[in-house]
This record gives sequence, structure tokens and C-alpha cells, in this order.
Amino acid sequence: MSLDNILNNWSDYRKAAEDGGFYDSEGNHPYEHRWTMSINLDLCNGCNACSTACYAENNLAFVGKERFEKGHAMNWMRIERYWDDQEKDYPEKGASFLPMMCQQCGSATCEPVCPVAATYHTPDGLNAQVYNRCIGSRYCSNNCPYRVRYFNFYSYYDDAWPEPMQQQLNPDISVRDKGVMEKCTFCVQRIRSAKEKAKMEDRAVRDGEAMPACAQSCPTSAIVFGDTLDENSAISKLWKKHQVKRNVAHQDKENPEMRGYRIFEELNVDPSVMYLERVREDV
Amino acid sequence: MSGKLNRRSFMKMMGWGGVGTALVGCDMPSTVTLEEGVEDVVSYLSPEEYVIPGVGVWYASTCTQCAAGCGIHGRVREGRVLKLEGNPESPVNKGKLCLMGQAGVQGHYNPDRITTPLLRSGGSLSPVSWEKAEQVLAEKLGGVKGDRFAWFTGSMSGHQLSLLSSHLDAMGSNKHFVHEVVNNTVAQSVYADMFGDATPRLRIDKAKMVLSFGADFMGASESPLLYSGDYARFRTGKTRGLLVQVEAKMSLTGGSADLWMPVKPGTEGVLALGVANLLLNKLKMSDAGIPSDVREMINTYDVTSVARITGVAGHRIQRVAALLQERSPSLVLAGATVEGHTHGYASTAAVMMLNHILGNVGKTIEPGAKLPFPQLAAKRGGTADLATFAEAAKGQQLDVVIFHGSNPVYTAPASLGLDDGLANIDFKVAIAQFPDETAMAADLVLPAASYLEDWGTQVPTFLGDSAAIQLQQPLMEKLYADTRGFGDIVLGLLKQLKAADFDKFEDYYGYLRNAFASLPASVKAGASSDDAFWNGALQAGVVMLPADLVTLKSTVIAFADPRGGDDAASGLTLIPSPRMGLWDGRHANLPWLQEAPDQISKVVWDSWAEIHPETAKENGISQGDLISVSSAHGEIRTRAVLLKSMHRDAVAVPLGQGHEAYGRYAKGIGINPLKIIDPAQDAKTGELAMYATRVSIKRVAGSEQFGLVKAGGSDTQAGRKLVVTVPAEQLQRTEGT
Repeated sequence: MSLDNILNNWSDYRKAAEDGGFYDSEGNHPYEHRWTMSINLDLCNGCNACSTACYAENNLAFVGKERFEKGHAMNWMRIERYWDDQEKDYPEKGASFLPMMCQQCGSATCEPVCPVAATYHTPDGLNAQVYNRCIGSRYCSNNCPYRVRYFNFYSYYDDAWPEPMQQQLNPDISVRDKGVMEKCTFCVQRIRSAKEKAKMEDRAVRDGEAMPACAQSCPTSAIVFGDTLDENSAISKLWKKHQVKRNVAHQDKENPEMRGYRIFEELNVDPSVMYLERVREDV
Repeated sequence: MSGKLNRRSFMKMMGWGGVGTALVGCDMPSTVTLEEGVEDVVSYLSPEEYVIPGVGVWYASTCTQCAAGCGIHGRVREGRVLKLEGNPESPVNKGKLCLMGQAGVQGHYNPDRITTPLLRSGGSLSPVSWEKAEQVLAEKLGGVKGDRFAWFTGSMSGHQLSLLSSHLDAMGSNKHFVHEVVNNTVAQSVYADMFGDATPRLRIDKAKMVLSFGADFMGASESPLLYSGDYARFRTGKTRGLLVQVEAKMSLTGGSADLWMPVKPGTEGVLALGVANLLLNKLKMSDAGIPSDVREMINTYDVTSVARITGVAGHRIQRVAALLQERSPSLVLAGATVEGHTHGYASTAAVMMLNHILGNVGKTIEPGAKLPFPQLAAKRGGTADLATFAEAAKGQQLDVVIFHGSNPVYTAPASLGLDDGLANIDFKVAIAQFPDETAMAADLVLPAASYLEDWGTQVPTFLGDSAAIQLQQPLMEKLYADTRGFGDIVLGLLKQLKAADFDKFEDYYGYLRNAFASLPASVKAGASSDDAFWNGALQAGVVMLPADLVTLKSTVIAFADPRGGDDAASGLTLIPSPRMGLWDGRHANLPWLQEAPDQISKVVWDSWAEIHPETAKENGISQGDLISVSSAHGEIRTRAVLLKSMHRDAVAVPLGQGHEAYGRYAKGIGINPLKIIDPAQDAKTGELAMYATRVSIKRVAGSEQFGLVKAGGSDTQAGRKLVVTVPAEQLQRTEGT
């Protein structure tokens, strides 16, 4: 891509950071949809259904023990497990589970550092990765505060999909090869198919129609997904209820006790994922 | 695809039961098409009728990855199944699917599947034709008398079970051993004795408080997704439900507890009696219905002695008792770590008695939905049958055994002497999809179709609010032409014995069609014809039925002192912990599940031993050390993982690894803790005391600190605002009503 493109990209990013909100070079608000997610940490029990559903949906390679140890795992959606109260003899309040994947930042720090504009912002509010354009500089991964970008250090095709396992591959998306960065896309192929279906039927996308694999599988329905530009969507209502605003680095809530928060929003990256605080009753 | 026969049989296979509007294409995998040599390869330029290239269609079926029987939808495109999701119409999982269900496609497309019949000759298994296999099998079955023939399976239900029962009848045998490592057999026996229903509906969602004694209801339980859905409602109701978990090793469910308390393994029953003591004597709840000797036993367990025996602080026991009285209705659950002792029945009964005292029966314990057709109801296995089977084999009581859906050679503790027993069995047949340990020890291996290629019905043991038959239909043409569906194999055996009754069914599909046509009219209400009923059932994947409900009673039966004899023994207690993922080892050959980290320890692709840091220190063990874990029946060696989510008197070694066969992804990884289990049995039910084995641990000298591989960077949040925790009062103020 041209230098212009990179500069435009950088300029968009600065606008987003300084003015709050993503605009294109003409200062227009270009979003058609704004896909966002909410994860209720009081319901997440860390079971791994979401991350395995992600492997199944997104052609994620399993890498095996040795490569996993080197940090080459391709788990776009992973569950972190933290122990709080380390000084106590036993973890009396259980474990803290955190599903972590690309937060589809509104002003994503991965975007302006890409030397070839392989990662960019879509009019759906998604942080997209163009595999064909990626040259594997890994600057984006270095710049991601969430560590949710995954690099193909090898060509995994033969190891991860030996005959006949390759028949399971999802034909709606590619299999990435060596030297390419990849990450959670909010299941863009599922969003796209919902949008296409709606277009064919000449109507708007219905709430719940576009659903990433993780949200679909979650046994406790901890994950809610939808379009925040659709005011009647369940996800819009959740953002409103929890008084979490986009495009800010600090939430100024009317009722600070509402549970919604965004991880690392103070970095001014404007994440699209709202977490709801874990609850514990003191016994 | 051309050829009249193929098109017709394809339409039959797919049953016209598409969820969407279009039927799927006939683009079979080239392996099938070309090897058969009877079909032409036709390009998409002349597309098959009903096929829209590039359009995926979802078909309904049933998951068989564990015995819960969740409904699934499989996405089929160009003749291949690509992705599985939960079926929203299933009363079990209501549209959700766990990681094991998601990984079902990896079993189906597994590169290590058995593709032809294998016959032992000259010590090793070699491929033979089906004709040869059938001929040998018929010979062997013809020469066996009555009870010297047996079936050995995992949990079974539906029409496969009813066919299998017919076969046993025809053989004149009544030996059907049903074995499942992850089970709640002891609890079912207590439920039956106390509530009059072995499979009640446990309404976690209706409880204001759940006190769980080691019940991992969202993880390795009898129906993890049913209870996960309940749990979500339990936490998001008008008042957020309170979960207190008491166990010696933190389970997946324990990780979500408001209060997690370690208890000395095997003393859970005593703790329950201590709580009962407080409820009756201090909080003055009614002791109506409690037999006098049980009442006296309760009196001997005052809070001070219970605290000393169980290691749970006295003030905590008092608080829990007070909360149970306050938060009514509550629900008290017992899990495998309570059941798996020689006094397992007594401990479980002591725990369940709390539900009686608290008046939970009828409120949070409801009658379970039962199928009006008992012959289809699930036979859920435990470990008692494994022990009985080993005895029978050692006693030379069996000549021919057919194994299916269970891997006893892997799961049997070495102390049962199953290897010696198997040597006594003249002819062992395995109907197997994979080269697991049992198949590799068999004399004849029949290649089974995967559950995504096979017909069947599944009747979940633990249903939601209505009874249902879950339907299983092939989502695609068989990958390997020489594999056969389980129903077809059993039907074939039956035809040899009872041709008059079974020859009329061309195949198992025909048998199922006939069985569905003969369902009573009340079930088929609304369908214009048998075909319409069948097609509707296929499309929904589930047939809802009016549930038979029993009337529950709330009684307490006399039970022995749950203190048992285990606590006199010295050493640490071994917890062979199952997890949602590898389960009892059956999923060790699915790489997604090997790479899905253990939910608590976060280790991947390995075995390990979980110990409390203090216990490790006493034994001179550091994180990552190679240690030996020895019982009276053997020794295993693995790496130590130090976690505070363990009781100090316990060591947990996860189940699932240590396979000596089972394909490239499972073989040679880690160790199998089941091998060193004592053969002790629960006094009342005969179930193996799986959680009672005493072991000693020792650092293996000279071992280098070589890493277990763990997911995730950090065990702590290091002051970052990642997972924020707020008190329940705050939630009540903001989101409560």
C-alpha cells in the first residue's frame, strides 16, 4: 500500500485518540454496524467451550506441546485463570477466569504501526486483518496491550490437519500460512453471512442473527454479542444499563456501582468488549 | 453423483430432514467415491438437484461425546460436516455445546480411525474382510452358551440398547456390563432410597443457596450443560444464588464458588452430620422422619469434633448451617469425591439427609422426567460392573465378550487383575472407532461408524422439564466404506439368531423407522402420517414426550457412620480427577482437547500432580519437580504442580492421559492414575472407592526442572484491573429487584 494510506491510517488513529471516536479522513462517522461484546465474569466458569468453538469455527491450528511452550499457540480466544488473595492458605473465593480475545479496539494500537496497512478498521467497527497483505513484521503484536495477536511461525497445515482432518476446515475462511499474523475477527464470516442474508431479504440484520461461535456455545450464556448501533439490541441495552461509554479513556458513570468496565481503556484504545465484574458474596 | 441406487440411498440417509430449506449436496469425499469405483465424479457444472454449492445446511442430531445426550446441529456443506452447535430444541442443553461436543468433528475426521475389520492371527491384528469377520464371529457366537457370553459397554440408551437387550435375550445371557468412570451411581442409589426417584431433577436454578460437597455439576458431571444453564439462572435471578463448595481438590464448579472450603478427603459425610447437628440442635429445625439411630449419630458429631475431623473451621460450619436455614429453598449436592469411598453410600446419604431436614424435596429436588418407554431408558454405568466383570473373567466364567463404547483395559485399576482375566476370555470382540487399549487387546475388531455417520436414538438420563427421545442421524456419508453403524452390527447379529423377527428390517435405519411408526398415536399427535412424523422428528432432532413423573417422598433411611475406616490410614489421598475435556481418557485423541488447558491448573498436553505448596514443602518438592506417587498397587511418575486449590492431605492426578495405544495424539503422553487405585469398594453399592486410595509422594532424585507447558502468562493479576470482583450486596443494590 502507498505511503498515503499509512499516513491516512495514522491520521485516523490520532483523530480517534484525540477527539474520541473513529472518523475517516473526511471527518465522517463511517460505521454501518458497531459489533460489540459483553462478557459477564460472574457467569464465566472457565470451561473452555468458547475457545474450542473458536478452534472449530476459525480453522485454528493446534500446535502441540513443544510449540505451545514456545508461545506459538493459536488460541484466539483463551481463558486466563488468576488467583487473587495470594497470601491466604486457600483460594476461598475460587478462581478468577478471564476470556481474552481481540477487543476490536476503536482506536487500535495495532493499526497505525502496520507498515503495509494489513490491519485496518472496517465500517463495522471491526479491527480487520488482511492476511494477503501481511508481511509478518509482528509490529502489531508487539503493540497490542492484550497479547491477542497470533503469528504463524510455521506452516501448520500438514501437522494440524492430516488427512482426513482437512475435511473439517471451514471453507468460509482461509487457512493462514507461515509468516502471517492472525487474530479473533468476531467471526466476521458469520457476521457477513448474516448481513448477506438480510440484504437478500431486503431487511436489517436482526439482533442475535450474527453470533460468533464463542457466544453461541457458552454454556452459561455469559457472552452477549450484537450491534450497538441497533438501539433495541440486547447488547445496546447492556452497554446502556452498565453506563459504559465508547470513545473515552475513563468512564464517568452516574452510578459507579454498575458492573460494566473495559480492560485497559485508560490506554485510550477504546475496546469494543465490555466485561461485567465478577461477584462474590462474603460468607 | 450418478446412479439410481446411490441417489436413493443418499436421500434415505439424509432423511429429508434438513433444518433449512435446501438439501445438502452429494459431493461425497473422493475417497469413498473413487474407491468404490461404481460412481462417476461429476463436476459442479452440472449440480445435483437440491444442492446449492457454498450453502451450508444445518441438520439435527445428538452428541455422544459423554452420556448426557445433548442435542446438536451439524453444519453440512458440500457433503461434509464442518461445525457442531447445540440444538435449541433439546431439553438438555438448550442450544449450548461444551468443548467436548465441539471437538466431536475431530473424532469423526480423526486420522487414526479403524477402517477395516481386524482379526488376530499369530499374535497380531491384521485386516480382514467383513465376510471373514462375520464368519469367525458367527462361529464363535454359535459355540458359546448362555451366560458365558456378555456385552461390555459404556452408558447406553434408546433403540441401540433395546436391540442389544434383544440380542442378549436371543443368546440366552443376561450379562450386560455397563461401565462409566465419570458416574453418580452411588448418589442415584441414595436418591432412590431417600426420595423415591433415582434420577430426580435437581433444580439449581430454583435454589437460593447451593451447598455442594464436591459436586462438579458444571464440569465432570452427569449432565454438565443442563446444570450450567440452571446455574446461569441461579446467579441471575432476583437474588443472586450463593454457592458454597466443599471439596479436597478445586473442581471447575468450585472455581466459581462464593466460598470454597477444602475438606479432608473422605470426611464430607462427617461434615454433613456436623451441619445437621447444628440445624437440629442449635437452630431447632425439625428432626421429623430421621431414624433414631441416625439421630443419635448426629448428636455425637458436635461442631468441635467435626472441625477436628474434617479440618473445616468451626465458625465456618456454623455460618454455613445458619445460611442454609436462612436461604430457603436451598440445595445440597454430593459429588464423586464423596461417593468414591468405602463409606461412600453413608457419606452421600448424610449429605442428602440435609435436603430432607431443610425441606428441599419438592422445592429444589423435583421428580425427574421419565420416558413412558422404560425399555429405551438409559442404562448408566458405574464402576461396580467393572469389578464384577474382572472377577467373572478371572473366574473363567466368560467365553465371548463384545466391547463397545468403553475402554476397560485403560480404565481398570491394575489391582483388579483385568489383564489376567482377559486372557481367560476365549474370544474378545471390540466394536471400535479407534485403536484404543481394549480394541488392541481384542481378537476381532469391527470398525464402527462415527456418531456423525450413524443412526440412533439417545434418551438422556437427566432431562430438563420434559421427557424426550433425542434422534441421531448421519450428517454425512461414511468416510470409510468398510465401517458400520453400531445398530447395523447388532441387527446383523440378531438376524442370525432370530431371522423371523428381524429379517424384515433391511438395516438399522429400517428398524428405527419401524420403531417410530409403532410409537403410540398420542406421541405422533399432529403429524399427518408416519412419514410426516418421522421427518418432523428428524428435523427437530428431538421427540418430546409426555413425562412420567413419580411422586417424590422425603425420607431418611438408616445409614452407617460416614466416618468410615479410611481416615485411619496414613498418607495422602489420591484424587484421580476427571475434567470436562479429556473426561475419563476417551477424548485424549482429540488434539483440540489436548490443547484446551485444564481449567484450574492450565496445563496442556500432559499429566501432572496437584499438591498444596505446604505439602510440597514438607516433602521437599518444588514446582515442576518430577515426583513419584506410590500406592500399595503401583507407582506413577509425573511433574508436580503446586496449587493452593488443594487440601493438604490430598494429591490430585488428572484422568485422561497415560494411553499405551489410542492413536498419535494420545499414545505415550503422561500417566494414568487409575492404574494405582486400590480395589476397595463401597460397602453398600459395590462401586469402586475411586477417591480413597492412599499414596505417598517423593521427589525423584536427580530430575531436572523441566517445564510442564501451561497456558497463560501469569497466575496473578499483578495489580492490573483485569478481573474485578465486587461484593454481592453491590449487585443487589444495582441489579437486584
